[in-house]
Amino acid sequence: MKKTQIVLLVLIMAAIAVLISVFGDFSSYETFASAAKEPKKSYYIIGTLDTTREMQYDPKTDANHFTFFATDKAGSLKKVIFNGEKPRDIEKSEQIVMMGFMDGETFHCSKIQMKCPSKYKKDMVAVGNNG
Amino acid sequence: MDTTQFTGEHLWPGQLGHFFVIVSFVAALLSTFSYIRAAIVEQDLEQSRIWKRLARGSFMVHAVSVVSIFIALFYIITNHLFEYHYAYEHSSYDMPSEYLLSCFWEGQQGSFMLWTFWHAVLGLIVMRTAKHFETRTMSVIAFVQVILTTMILGIYLGPDIKIGSTPFMLLRNAMQNAPIFAMPDYMDFIKDGNGLNVLLQNYWMVIHPPILFLGFALTLIPFAYCIAALWKGDYKSFIKPTLAWSLAGGAVLGTGIMMGGAWAYESLNFGGFWAWDPVENASLVPWITLIAGLHTLLVYRRTKRAFTVTMIFLLLTHLLIWYSTFLTRTGILGKTSVHAFTGDGTALTYHLLIVIGVLMVISKIAILYRWKQLPRIKTEEATLSREFWMFIGAVILFLAAVQISVTTSIPVWAPLAKWITGKDFAPPTDPVSHYNNIQVWVAIIIGLLSATIMYMKYKNSDGKTLAKRLGGTALVALIMAALIACGQDITTWQYDLMLFAACYGIVANTYYGISIQKLKFKKLGPSVAHLGFAAVLLGILLSAYNKHAISLNTTGVPFNFQKETQQETIKENMENVIMFLGVPVAMGNYFATYIGDSAVEGKDKRIYYRVLFEQKDTTTGEVTDRFMLYPDAFINPKGQQGLSANPSTRHYWNYDVFTYISSATDKSKSDTSSYKSHIVNQPGDSIYLDNGFMIFNGFSREIDDPRYTPKEGDLAVKAKLSVYNMEGKQNEIGPIYILRDKQYIMQVDDTVKSMGLYTRFGALNVHSKDSASLDIQVRQTNPMDDFIVLKALIFPYINVLWIGIMIMVFGFFISLGDLITTKSKAPEA
Repeated sequence: MKKTQIVLLVLIMAAIAVLISVFGDFSSYETFASAAKEPKKSYYIIGTLDTTREMQYDPKTDANHFTFFATDKAGSLKKVIFNGEKPRDIEKSEQIVMMGFMDGETFHCSKIQMKCPSKYKKDMVAVGNNG
Repeated sequence: MDTTQFTGEHLWPGQLGHFFVIVSFVAALLSTFSYIRAAIVEQDLEQSRIWKRLARGSFMVHAVSVVSIFIALFYIITNHLFEYHYAYEHSSYDMPSEYLLSCFWEGQQGSFMLWTFWHAVLGLIVMRTAKHFETRTMSVIAFVQVILTTMILGIYLGPDIKIGSTPFMLLRNAMQNAPIFAMPDYMDFIKDGNGLNVLLQNYWMVIHPPILFLGFALTLIPFAYCIAALWKGDYKSFIKPTLAWSLAGGAVLGTGIMMGGAWAYESLNFGGFWAWDPVENASLVPWITLIAGLHTLLVYRRTKRAFTVTMIFLLLTHLLIWYSTFLTRTGILGKTSVHAFTGDGTALTYHLLIVIGVLMVISKIAILYRWKQLPRIKTEEATLSREFWMFIGAVILFLAAVQISVTTSIPVWAPLAKWITGKDFAPPTDPVSHYNNIQVWVAIIIGLLSATIMYMKYKNSDGKTLAKRLGGTALVALIMAALIACGQDITTWQYDLMLFAACYGIVANTYYGISIQKLKFKKLGPSVAHLGFAAVLLGILLSAYNKHAISLNTTGVPFNFQKETQQETIKENMENVIMFLGVPVAMGNYFATYIGDSAVEGKDKRIYYRVLFEQKDTTTGEVTDRFMLYPDAFINPKGQQGLSANPSTRHYWNYDVFTYISSATDKSKSDTSSYKSHIVNQPGDSIYLDNGFMIFNGFSREIDDPRYTPKEGDLAVKAKLSVYNMEGKQNEIGPIYILRDKQYIMQVDDTVKSMGLYTRFGALNVHSKDSASLDIQVRQTNPMDDFIVLKALIFPYINVLWIGIMIMVFGFFISLGDLITTKSKAPEA
């Protein structure tokens, strides 16, 4: 075999090894119930905001604390604590993707992505970064 | 059919525009066919010449039509013809005129048109310069133009199948079910359009898309040349033009991508210049493969090796541009991207998939057709040859592109993975660390290689000289890296290695350019580009590694290799700090004070927040540095709740202070305070305020207040007041009391905005000749009612990054200039 081919082979094998080893980085979409099985581990949960319940955001006491209730795809309702400012227009969102982990009965979330229906277009709005 | 006669519509610009869309489509089709014919009948000169003439003519008609479509749409937008869906959706009357161009490319069709336009322009250049490759390259280019024009064709085949979407769609057709369109005079009710997304009302939006799309368009030309070379079986004369176009593409696409980064940094609150967002990755990946292909092409030019891989890289680059279009336009990234891109339904998804499929098949056929006769070299290259290491570098770049693509494409392959494994895959919860942890190795290896190969020669190098130079460079770089690592406190060993690689690149390329190339400008391209690349690595490392939020004064940890606990990750998000009006907040080395806001009158509905930053000497307490930042925000834009913010940044040579508003009070709702009376009897009397005090200094009859115009018969008195805040700073104000025609009382209030203080001359009660009491009414906005929530970040040495990019792009252009001006005596081995 030629030297180039050997090097190529080694590189490709290394690349495959890297890809497999970072596979664990990939997260998954879960429900509150399935995320609760592994508390403290971060997942994405797709759900909807429960507008009938109280949302709390008081920047005077804590600018990084926003709580609300959300229903996941399986229909279970949980309290969500978001570490950040209240995302604009969250009341109008038709779907929210939350990233975070379950701790007891509450979901601690560090990133929220919303899908908002505006009259004629559908926009995605994301909040939270460095996540 | 609808038979209603609508009034107030301007139908001719749209009809004309649509006519040109069809002309451009048909002309491109004709041009493709004629060019292919001209190539096939090449041997018959007379025949070929006729076909070529037809092909050229129709391509020019195509180009003129593309420009005409542009003009038609531009006319519609500038004249605010809201009967057109495009104008209604993307423009509005209150939009500043410089953004009219931006709303052109905000929409799907407009950006396709921009792309088509660049292809047409580049096509005309290729037509003039490609010589014996003209028929074949232009066949490819014209064919891609056929594809692109279908994107804006907007033709229905049956009720469900739609090909492309036209930018000239009427509003009443776009929203057929809305009851308003049953009225013939519906235009009288449509007063204004939706306007441009406030986030996009920014000068970057004016210049970033054209540059980026020019970069996209430039990848078509190497693609066309590769196909042409394979088709013709001419593996030599395509090298020079392909190299030139690839260099231009690398420079422009690189600039476009980093302009996006600069945009994100300067005016979007992404909190940085690069977030590994899928949309950013989608344009980075083709740039990487283009750079890989460019380098293997250089190898091929000098050694006749690496032909096949060059073809693969350059063909793939253009395919990846289409793939990135697929990722960003179809909405498939949906829940994973920060960018507010919208999907155009399944029609576009299938359309783009078919396009990618067709182009891929063409590429494969071209390579397989010539597979047996592709240039190959049996012998091995020397280990110390430049080509060997350049090849390895290119492969590593390619693998880096593969890794980025795999993660970015999660939404694409997730359904398949779910079907196999049952797990619903999502992007990494911490994408920045995910990419950084892998790509840091690519940065290290490429950084080292890009410098080392400069010392090597094609075919073989002298081991001793090489070792001496490498050793010397490494030593200097090591010292430099050690100093920076200590100074900047870079402790993660992987990033120390990257720092070394960057320093090594800077030292090696500087040395190479000065003492080996003797600063011969024309030949400096590679060393300048590589020097720039090394500086980019250094800039990325310095600014991102030590980026930190001073609004909480905790160090950001995006580069952490240890698995953090969730609590730590959350801490990272707690970068917001609340600032009440006039109350200083400690931020890093600064004291920051929110001292008020100012709404800009007129069209623009944004509010600027004034935040004063002061740095004090710790021992003397003297202010050593002071500056004002004006982060701004649109409160409740377009009837939405909440705000949309733009950052404000203070640039120093060695770091940036970057701030933006995460939340603010809506003044129209929050101010609940009212006036309260205070009686003063004589000069010297004082009134205590929430945040200071005020001294009455007597009356004055001399009034030079622009708000008061004296009139005959007026009796006007001004109360002289000195206001002191907590720090003892003094302000002079004078509310005025006017008795006009002995019956009307008028008052002119005076305010100290920074203290939220409003004063009014309430009444004057004369008791006797020399005693009078004055009612001064004072209103103070509750300081707790006026606050902003701010995020402030420090980016150290970010200028190294921007300068690095400029140097790198400059290097590309030196090489390009050298290539174009040197008569083809280039040593072709």
